[in-house]
Amino acid sequence: MDSDIAFSAVRISTPLIFAAMGGLLTYQAGMLNIALDGFMIVAAFAAIAVAYVTGSLGIALLAGVFFSVVMAALLALFNLRFRAHIFIAGIAVTFLAYGLTALLLKGLLGEDGVFSANTIPTFSTIEIPLIKDIPWIGRVLSGHTILVYLAYLSVPVVAWFLYRTRWGLRVRVVGEAEDAALAAGVNVERIKLQTMLLSGVFCGLAGAYLSLGYVSLFANKMTNERGLIALAAIFFAKGAPFPTALVALLFGTATALSVRLPQMTGAAPQLLQLIPYVVTVLALVVVGIRNARSRSRHGAWRFDVQ
Amino acid sequence: MSAEAAVPTGGHFSLAGLVKPLLQPLIAVAIAVVVGGLLVLSLGENPFEIYWLLISGSLVGWPNFLVTLQMMSPLLFTGLAVAISFRAGLWNIGAEGQMIIGALFAGIAGFAVDLPTFLHIPFCLAAAFLGGLLWALIPAVLRVWLNVNEIVVCLMMNPIALLFSGYVSTHLLKAPGPTNKLPDIAETAVLPTFSLYSQVNAGFIIGLALCLLFAAINGWTKKGFEWKIMGLAPRFAYYGGIKVPLHAVVVMMISGGIAGLGGAEQVLGEYRAFYDNFSPGYGFDGIAVAMLANFNPIGVVLAAFLFGALNGGSAVLQMMTGLSKYLVQVLQFIIVLILAAQFTWGWLRSRKNAITAQEDRLEPETEES
Repeated sequence: MDSDIAFSAVRISTPLIFAAMGGLLTYQAGMLNIALDGFMIVAAFAAIAVAYVTGSLGIALLAGVFFSVVMAALLALFNLRFRAHIFIAGIAVTFLAYGLTALLLKGLLGEDGVFSANTIPTFSTIEIPLIKDIPWIGRVLSGHTILVYLAYLSVPVVAWFLYRTRWGLRVRVVGEAEDAALAAGVNVERIKLQTMLLSGVFCGLAGAYLSLGYVSLFANKMTNERGLIALAAIFFAKGAPFPTALVALLFGTATALSVRLPQMTGAAPQLLQLIPYVVTVLALVVVGIRNARSRSRHGAWRFDVQ
Repeated sequence: MSAEAAVPTGGHFSLAGLVKPLLQPLIAVAIAVVVGGLLVLSLGENPFEIYWLLISGSLVGWPNFLVTLQMMSPLLFTGLAVAISFRAGLWNIGAEGQMIIGALFAGIAGFAVDLPTFLHIPFCLAAAFLGGLLWALIPAVLRVWLNVNEIVVCLMMNPIALLFSGYVSTHLLKAPGPTNKLPDIAETAVLPTFSLYSQVNAGFIIGLALCLLFAAINGWTKKGFEWKIMGLAPRFAYYGGIKVPLHAVVVMMISGGIAGLGGAEQVLGEYRAFYDNFSPGYGFDGIAVAMLANFNPIGVVLAAFLFGALNGGSAVLQMMTGLSKYLVQVLQFIIVLILAAQFTWGWLRSRKNAITAQEDRLEPETEES
C-alpha cells in the first residue's frame, strides 16, 4: 500500500480509536452508549471555541474533554437516575448536541455551518527517533501529532485496566451479570456512572482531535457518524480492547481509501464507506446464528435481547 | 418509556381522562421552552421575541401556515411509523433509512415507468411502501429469528440506506447535469399541490388519513389491542396466546412501509425527483414526534403540527435574527429526553401508580442493553 494512504489511515483512525475505547468501557459495563457522536461534536466545538479565544491548545483540549464529560453526565443522569431507555436518551443527547453546537456556532462565533480561523495554533508533529528511519514504516508511523500517539497508547492502558485491576473486574462483572455484582456488594450504579464519564473523556479527546488535530475547523455534524463506526467496531470485536482497536483501524483504512480511491480510479466512495456498517450487520447475523444453534430447545420468543 | 400513559382511562368519558394524557407532553414542552428560553437569553437575545417570531413565522398568515403544513407532512409519516413500532415494544429507530429507501423506490418508479396518472401515483406509493417495508424487514427478521437487537441493526441500516441511495443517485442512475439526483419523475407521478405559497401536497392528506386509520385500528380492532399488549407486557402477550414473533415482523413491516411513504411524499410531492441526501433527519424527528404523541396516532398529528410549525418558524428565525434555526432541534430533543425519563413523574400520579412504578423498578434492564 502507498505509504501516503497508510499514513492517513493511521491519522483518520485516531478519533475512531478514541471513541471506540470510550464506547467499549460502557459496553463492558453492560450499557450500549450510542451517544458517542453527541459527546464528540460537543468536544469538537468546545475545543475550537476555547482555542480561538485563548490561543492555548492545552486549555482547548481540557475544555473539549470537560464538556464531553458534561454530556456524558447528562446521559448518565437520565439513564441511571431517571431510568430513561438508554437508546432513546442516547439519541436525544446526540441530536441535542448536534443542535446545540450548531446554535452556539452561530450565536457565539457568528458563523453558519462552518468555522475556521488561521490564528489557532496547530499541534506540532513528533518525529520518533529510530522508527522514522525505517523505510516504509517510518513514513507511516512517524510524524503524527501527540493525540494520535495518545490514541494508540490508550488501547493497552484500557486493556490493562479492564483485565488487570479490581476495578476492571467489577466493570466486567456488572456487564455480564448485574445481579451477581449487586449480590457481591458492587455498587453497580457507580461503576456504570464511572464508565459513562470515562466514555466522555475519550470522546472528548476524539472530538478535540476532529476540530484541532488536523486542520483547525469546525462544521455542523462534523463527526460524520464516526461514533457509529466506533460502535460498529466494538460490536464486531465484542468489546475486547485490542481487537476493537484493530477493527477500528481497518474501518479507518476503508474510510481513508474511500477518499483516495475515487480520485485515482473514479470508483464510488459510497461503496467503501458502506463497509463498516454492512460488515457489522453481517457480524450480528453470524453471532445470531451461532447463538441460535446453542439456544434452549423450545425456541420461545426471547423477551430480553442483548 | 411512559407506558402508563398509553393506557386509556376506560370506556367512560371524563374530563380527567381527556386532560391526563395531555399533561405529561405539555409539561415536557413547557420545560423545553424554559430551558430553550434561558439558552436564547444567554446568547443575548430576547426569548419572548424569539418565541413570538417562531409562532408568527409559522402560524400567522396563510403562506406561513401552508409552509407549516408542508413541514409537517413528512413528520406525519415518520412520526406514525415510529409510534406504531414503539407502541408494540419494537424500537424501530430506522425510520430515517426506511424513508430514504422508500423515496428512492418512489423516485425510480416515478421516472422509469410510463403509466397513466390514476395508476402511476398508486404504483409509486406502493413502490415506496415496499422499499421501506423491505428495509425494516431486515432488522425485524434478525430480531425474531436470531434475537439480534433491532435497535443496533436499525442504527446501522440508516447510514447504509443513505450511502446506498447516494451510490444509486450519483453513479448508477444519475441524471445528467451537476446535481446528484435521479432524473425528474414523470408528470403523471406528481402528487398535486394546493397552493403557490408552499409545497404542501396530496401527501399531507394521505398522512392524515393514515393517522386516522391507525387510530381506528389501535382503538377498535383486535390487532391494535394485541400490539398494545405486546408493548406493555410481552410475556403476558406471549403466554396469552398472541403470536408475538409474527406480529413483531408485521408491525415492523407496516412501520417501515409508512416511513417509506414519507419518502414518497417528499419525492412525488415536493422535490419531484430523488435528490441525494435530501432528508435533514425527518426519520429522527419522527422519534421526537412519536415520543411527544405518546405513540398515539392522533397525538402524532398534533405533535407533527407542533414540530412542523417550529421547523417552519425556524426558517424565519434564521433570516431575521442572529440565532440559528437549530434552536428548534434543541427544543425538540430536550422534549424527547424529558419524556424518555420514566419515574420523574411520580409526584403527578396517585400513590397506587407510584407503587407499581416501584415494582417495575425491581426488574431492571429488561428492555435495555
